Amino acid sequence: MEADARGFRVALVAGELINPPDGGVDALAVLEDEDWGAIQLPAAEYPADVAEPLLEQAAEQAEEFARHGYTLAVVGHRAGLEEALGRHGLETPRAIEPSSAEELRTFLGSLAG
Amino acid sequence: MPGVAFVAHCLLNQNSKTAGGARCPGVYSPLVQELRARGWRIEQMPCPELAFTGLNRFWAVKEQLDTSAYRRHCRRLATAVAGAVGVHVRRGDDVVIVGIDGSPSMGVHITSSDPARGGRPEWPDGSGELSPGAGIYMEELTAVLAERGIDAPRVMGISHQLPDHDPAAERERLAALLEG
Repeated sequence: MEADARGFRVALVAGELINPPDGGVDALAVLEDEDWGAIQLPAAEYPADVAEPLLEQAAEQAEEFARHGYTLAVVGHRAGLEEALGRHGLETPRAIEPSSAEELRTFLGSLAG
Repeated sequence: MPGVAFVAHCLLNQNSKTAGGARCPGVYSPLVQELRARGWRIEQMPCPELAFTGLNRFWAVKEQLDTSAYRRHCRRLATAVAGAVGVHVRRGDDVVIVGIDGSPSMGVHITSSDPARGGRPEWPDGSGELSPGAGIYMEELTAVLAERGIDAPRVMGISHQLPDHDPAAERERLAALLEG
């Protein structure tokens, strides 16, 4: 069996930062460079009946990582996330709404331990 | 015109893999690079095994997971994803689905099967569980999309956990998928 290469760091990321507009912060590129994984949060454009179950599933998955001591972070804003995490017994991890890739990189570096 | 790729959770988060299965720290670059280069939007599907059997799960074959409770769990996840697929299909976006070949849940063309496997784990590496077919989540997603009258999107499975994984061939198959 090959060695397991996981980074033990997972960011919950607003959909708008996974698929940024031209000139926007490409959070996925930064996460890739910094060895973090991503849990994508539904973009605000989705109607509530579509977004809410996706958000619930994101929180459910975050709980499993938290339970095992993985480092978690939130990148960008997603309405309802705090409540969804709370339903799974989680406080909102440290969060950032980055204005640049460099700002996000610095933030992630500060959590890497 | 670029479209929307619904991708297996672990392709953006290798931390969700079964122990021993993570190929990189987080993001599986070959897929993301190809999608980015072609201007495709990325939508991550949930990992059905992560929230059901957890991070400490054993490697499993399809028969071990194929219970009515796990099917209901996959159906719940697939229903949420189908809602998002429907948004894009109604908008006229081109939609593709990228799974994980060899996975009992996320397999597209290859899953894993061994009807005899169970009990105390002691199977040797390299035992022949790979089998043609789709994983359980993919079967449920296909069913939910059909129930909603959504034509089945084009699909492929990333092959990075198969023993004969060929990165160049995988990239060619991905390019062909995205080009339609």
